[in-house]
Amino acid sequence: MFTGRTVRRCAALLLALALTATGCGSSGDDGTAAAEGGTRVFKADNGSITIPAKPQRVVATGYAVPPLIEAGAPLVGISTWKRGVPMMDAQTKATYDRLPKVAGEQAAETNYEAIAKAKPDLIVIGVPAPVLGDIDVNRLKSIAPVVAIGPTVPRAWRELSRRQADAAGVLQKYDATKTQYEAKAAQLAAKYKDVLPKLKFAHVGAYGEVSKGNFQREFDGSWGTNVANDIGAKYYGQVKQKGTGSRSVSEYPSIEELPSAFAEADAITYSVNTDGSVPESVKYVLDSDLWKNLPAVKAGRTYPIRYTEAATYRQAMMTLDAIDKSFAPLLKQ
Amino acid sequence: MSVLVLRAGGRAVHLERRTLVLSAALVAAMLGLGLLGLCYGAEWATPGEVAAALAGTGDAEVVIRDWRLPRVLAALVFGAALGTSGAIFQNLTRNPMGSPDVIGLDAGAYTGALVALTVLSGTSTQLAVCSVVGGLLVAAVIYLLSMDGGLSGLRLVVVGIAVNAVVTALNSWIVLRADLEVAIAAVGWSAGSLNGVDWADLTIPLWAIAVLLALMAAGSHAMHQAALGDAVATATGVGLRRLRLLMVVAGVGLTATVTAVAGPIAFIALAAPQIGRRLARAPGVPLLPAALTGAVLLQAADLAAQALLAPVSLPVGVVTTAIGGCYLLWLLTQEVRRP
Amino acid sequence: MTAAGREAGVRRPERTGAAAGQAAVLAAGVALLAAVAVVSIGVGAHRVAPGEVVRALVAYDGSADQMIVRDVRAPRALLAVGVGAALAVAGVLVQTLSRNPLAEPGILGVTAGAGFAVTVGSALGAAAAPAGQLAVATAGAVLAAVLVYAVGRSSPLRLVLTGVALSAVLSGVSLGMRLMLPDVFDQYRFWSVGSLAGRERAPLALPLAAIGIAVVGALLLGRALNAVALGDNVAHALGVSVTRVRSTALVLITVLAGAATAVAGPIMFVGLIVPHAVRPLARGSVPWLTVHAAVFGAVLLLLADMGSRVLLPTGEVPVAIVTAFIGGPVLIWAVRRYGAGAS
Repeated sequence: MFTGRTVRRCAALLLALALTATGCGSSGDDGTAAAEGGTRVFKADNGSITIPAKPQRVVATGYAVPPLIEAGAPLVGISTWKRGVPMMDAQTKATYDRLPKVAGEQAAETNYEAIAKAKPDLIVIGVPAPVLGDIDVNRLKSIAPVVAIGPTVPRAWRELSRRQADAAGVLQKYDATKTQYEAKAAQLAAKYKDVLPKLKFAHVGAYGEVSKGNFQREFDGSWGTNVANDIGAKYYGQVKQKGTGSRSVSEYPSIEELPSAFAEADAITYSVNTDGSVPESVKYVLDSDLWKNLPAVKAGRTYPIRYTEAATYRQAMMTLDAIDKSFAPLLKQ
Repeated sequence: MSVLVLRAGGRAVHLERRTLVLSAALVAAMLGLGLLGLCYGAEWATPGEVAAALAGTGDAEVVIRDWRLPRVLAALVFGAALGTSGAIFQNLTRNPMGSPDVIGLDAGAYTGALVALTVLSGTSTQLAVCSVVGGLLVAAVIYLLSMDGGLSGLRLVVVGIAVNAVVTALNSWIVLRADLEVAIAAVGWSAGSLNGVDWADLTIPLWAIAVLLALMAAGSHAMHQAALGDAVATATGVGLRRLRLLMVVAGVGLTATVTAVAGPIAFIALAAPQIGRRLARAPGVPLLPAALTGAVLLQAADLAAQALLAPVSLPVGVVTTAIGGCYLLWLLTQEVRRP
Repeated sequence: MTAAGREAGVRRPERTGAAAGQAAVLAAGVALLAAVAVVSIGVGAHRVAPGEVVRALVAYDGSADQMIVRDVRAPRALLAVGVGAALAVAGVLVQTLSRNPLAEPGILGVTAGAGFAVTVGSALGAAAAPAGQLAVATAGAVLAAVLVYAVGRSSPLRLVLTGVALSAVLSGVSLGMRLMLPDVFDQYRFWSVGSLAGRERAPLALPLAAIGIAVVGALLLGRALNAVALGDNVAHALGVSVTRVRSTALVLITVLAGAATAVAGPIMFVGLIVPHAVRPLARGSVPWLTVHAAVFGAVLLLLADMGSRVLLPTGEVPVAIVTAFIGGPVLIWAVRRYGAGAS
């Protein structure tokens, strides 16, 4: 059944679309540092917020959880974030398990009293703008300054996680990881510079639905492609009917359109689970005779990519390693 | 003919007293659970602290007065509204399955809300008005389709089920068409919730429900007559048709108001009136026990929703679905035992 | 079959002329089915010329278009034919057996029971192979059918209410399980809404074979059912064992509903619409009613499935939603037509 809550969420979604269209919520100059131990003004999805310059007790929810744990922010409470768990290293996972949970997977499961009990001096909400409508931001504001920085388009995790880290006052450590990532990406780009730029890539994402008989095609800047973009892979084409958010860089055609969608691809990458197994939605494509008939498949140029859900630089380094391993045969050709 | 067994008798005085005692007990349960709701939270507050907070002093003033109190009040009032609405429809259809959620009034209210969102601009006033209009339209369609040839309760319910199927299909189509699945996927499931309800959300709904409940109380006696059967009601001079119309409008209003604020809270409207009726051993489905039982049920369900996976707070609709499922199973087994 | 033979013998004089008429109706129905099937195979997200559709079926050359026809659309059309026929025949059996014009496997919660059983069975690992899936779905259908019949047998409308109540309980329980164990149950949402999309590579041979056998069984049972439909006393007088006919019919109903649900998920109303639509054609003969229902059930589901593909520009509407659109009004019509004396 559908609900009034969904209705409200839909209203929030429409509002969010309007905001995105007018350019609000995009990253810009990230506030101005005030005096030591004082406050500063931070630009977030929910406006310009006065926050402590050096927060001591931070509550993080949603997408903000992994980056803030990795950057060593002074966390006193987090939401559960099951989808991020498979990509956490041992240390991050230990911190994740240790911290008190003050909200569930869904924004509607926010426990305001538990947040108040944690006595934070900053609350970083990492949920998509549409879902913000499910959270009583005013009530949170009565506890501590609230900074909402939620995901927009898939590739924007770079700026978003950085802004989240910035708000929590742990930019320095975060940027160290960022530099590491960029160096590694540059090194891999050099390694593959003779092969990748010449190829027209296409990507099969994991979010298709077998029960609808469709598959997900991802273009440049989507979940499955944005890290590969960083080392020089180019995914050709673009979404037929541009949507917002992820719909601006990925689409869900019927399985029937597989031949026409990938006819020109020289090489095809596809998302696999963190443990390397093929998700149901991708298996549906890979098992099809239409797939086996594609030129790129006949030429043997198909490459699984693990860790396509990366949303922090540390996670993206795992993605880089996975891509490197997968692309290795390209160098021998 | 109807699933209800009407046990009318000349024991009016005894019944009145029983109802009175029962009501007192239910009010006590309501207050007890309400107090529990004010005490329970991330940090347990003693009744003394609660009293202090309500009086405007103490550390926990904001948490208890501005966070917990509206939630408890919403649970009690919405529960009463749903219970009453269920009792109204079960009386009209003379069937325990004739509750608003089964015969498609919720689905109709949701269609209204969807139209407000996709065609109009989707302000909260539009949402509220459109959900009520949607619910009323569905009620009118069901009423018209099942009216001629003698209004049989079971027949109305089955027509309602059919209308519910069509309206639900329509809703799915609108949602798929409007390409809003981004938002829906973000939820994973949708069920009514009282989490985060505050005073600002409650002012208008509380007034609306209060007016509708007062209306109900005024019409309560006539309702009892109607429950005893068309013939009796006509004989006692009740304007049956007009009464029915008034009751339907009020019942839809109650359901739609609750749905507009909290989302669909399933099965309270189904279960509360029957539990109340059995406790009161009354003929027909009396309104007061239904309202009070609804309040007790929803407040208990909301406490359970907060405590089950604490500190994560479940949507209360999930808990009421479970309660309603158990109730339905029980109802089925009762029916099996009956010869 | 002696009983059936005797029963047929009683009526032989008027049968010969009627049989020719019925055969003509059947031939027209089959021709319609073939035409709808070809059109249905031609419609889809990817444009395929009608000539190419026919060539793909008779002279396959392995081009991408023909591959789409052979690999995606033809299996889907076959599935629609099988599921439509199964549900419609199950509807005929249920309505005849219970003498209830509102009865239908979907409304009575039989398909919901089958779907729920497959969900639980898959989560427990018992329904991985098609045979296991079929067995689990049929078992679920049996349980649901017995429960609903035991509770609601006293009146046609009560039977409907019980079926709806059971569906509500099962959906509540599935919701609860999905919340408690999201990782286990989320992937089985597949069986929560009936759809024909994405099933083309599921192993269909076994369920379709089961449906075929059960439809033939229903045809063979038709004459005995004819006798039972006239009333228990008449059946006894004609030497038909009412108990045996009833239990055989129940087995057939649950196999048909179970197999259809195992491959397509719960689809409501097909078993209601089709028997009512073809009843005037069958002129009171249950065997002919069964035959016509099988053909027109297939036609209806093919049409509904085409609707599910063209109703939305962006993607697909599950076919169960399309059948609900058509079926709701039919249920209201049936309640108004037959329901007056039924409560």
